[in-house]
Amino acid sequence: MNIRDKVLVVEDEKSISGFIKAILTTNGFDVITARTGGEAFSMISSHCPDLVVLDLGLPDIDGMSIIESVRRWTQLPILVVSARSYERDKVEALEKGADDYITKPFSAGELLARVRVAIRHTRLSNVSLASTGKFTAGELTIDYDKHQVLIAGENAHLTQNEFKIVALLGKCAGKVLTYDFIMKELWGPQSKGNNQILRVNMANIRRKIEKNPAEPQYIFTEVGVGYRMVEGD
Amino acid sequence: MDKIAEKLRRYFPLSLKGWAVFLLSMLVASGICILLHEVTTSDFHAPLIFVLVVLVVSLLTDGYFYGFLASLVSVFAVNWAFTYPYMKMDFSIYGYPLTFVTMLAVGVAVSTLTGRVREQEKIRMESEREKMRANLLRAVSHDLRTPLTAISGSISALLDEECAFDEQERRELLRNAKNDADWLCRMVENLLSITRISGDSVQGIAREEEMMEEVISEAVMNFRKRNPGVTVSVSVPETLLFVPMDAMLIEQVLLNLMDNAVMHGSRTTKIFIGVSADADFATVRVADNGCGIDLRLLDHLFDGSLPLTGGRSADNTRSMGIGLSVCKTIVEAHGGTIRAENRPGSGAQFTFTLKRKGDEP
Repeated sequence: MNIRDKVLVVEDEKSISGFIKAILTTNGFDVITARTGGEAFSMISSHCPDLVVLDLGLPDIDGMSIIESVRRWTQLPILVVSARSYERDKVEALEKGADDYITKPFSAGELLARVRVAIRHTRLSNVSLASTGKFTAGELTIDYDKHQVLIAGENAHLTQNEFKIVALLGKCAGKVLTYDFIMKELWGPQSKGNNQILRVNMANIRRKIEKNPAEPQYIFTEVGVGYRMVEGD
Repeated sequence: MDKIAEKLRRYFPLSLKGWAVFLLSMLVASGICILLHEVTTSDFHAPLIFVLVVLVVSLLTDGYFYGFLASLVSVFAVNWAFTYPYMKMDFSIYGYPLTFVTMLAVGVAVSTLTGRVREQEKIRMESEREKMRANLLRAVSHDLRTPLTAISGSISALLDEECAFDEQERRELLRNAKNDADWLCRMVENLLSITRISGDSVQGIAREEEMMEEVISEAVMNFRKRNPGVTVSVSVPETLLFVPMDAMLIEQVLLNLMDNAVMHGSRTTKIFIGVSADADFATVRVADNGCGIDLRLLDHLFDGSLPLTGGRSADNTRSMGIGLSVCKTIVEAHGGTIRAENRPGSGAQFTFTLKRKGDEP
């Protein structure tokens, strides 16, 4: 008997809830649904799902408060569904503790990819990383032991800060990390606000590891939100 | 209390410019009177010159304040300084009340007129903007009906038990429905972009320093998802290029241009995006290897007349017109320009610029 991951979909629009459920069920997930924030609260605590897909535009309770209160007692992964133009919503959701977001309209492939990444990261995720100390994606290799980043076997000669940034992204590969999150990890909790230094560092990293900095294959920018590294092999 | 204060502020605004105009006119008029006094013996020029001063001051300043002030000061200037008896006030001489009333009347009348003209200007600009928005809304709403009809029709055919389609036909219907739905999404994004511009502030957009390569790469990734068969190559300068912009809007411009290249280039398989910059402007070129732009349309792409052309390919032309109209509005809101041309050989090229400095358009 197969054990299936349980996903709670919190969405008030019947048609959207319907198609998310259809896609996930066909791909090996058990899906339960909630139409309102109130239902979501009770179902999360009673069912303890493996992942919550949460639409931010719920009629009764602000999605943010659901994230906040869930985070008070569990690290269960939360995937937020947002509309395209509201970057502030996405950033706020991520800062309150959501793991990732997906933008409407999205395809079945995108949804599945984000769901898998989110669940994987809460398990003892990077099994391969733990055993070999290396992260690989395409021709990119992050060697955590030697503190090196290699492209097609050649050392990319990253500076210390540049390496820290790439290493952080690699540990959370597939997940989006906000500018603020990365800034705090590298430059401390007082570093919020002006993220120019991070963006300049990232532009230099791109020039060292990407064939064409305007067509990245490894580190993607989500403008206004943060960065995301491609999933490992 | 507030309302009275508000009214006072509107009708009697104080400003540096107002004081400057007032003082300068007074000085010039006084100067002329003094000069003329040396030349002729009669004084009748004085009140006339100061009536002119009142006229000029009312014309060049906002509100009634400076006009009134000019009238008041002019009366005293004329009476005390420039007419007999000199350096003395004398209200007994016949004609002074009339002079004073005339000046005041001129002051009030001209101030009112100039105020009204300015109001009209503002109203006219507002109505222009409203008209543009209404036109765009009408054109887009009209365009929304076609794909919706197609989607609804295709899916109802698939649901109809009496229609027997084979696997290929079913996939075709579904694929068309998906394409139409995607097109609808793009139109909605264009609409939202328009509201984003005309939303709050006068100039309309909130700009942040963004890295050109990041904005372009996000737009290209978005485009590639929906058009996997088209090759997009991007070239940016080696040095980091930061440009103040609303990233979402500029991405919309890029998406519209790339979508147009595919939808209207008829055989486009390659798109090329190039970026260059100087101290004042960043320039972005979007070129394709399609069939190019119909020469008859080339001169009218951005002037808003495109949505209205009729004919067999009216729908196609209309959607291109909307996308380009939105591009033009966004680019101009950034202080830039956009133009289109056909490439030597085949294919079209669109070039737009973005202002690099500060907030002034």
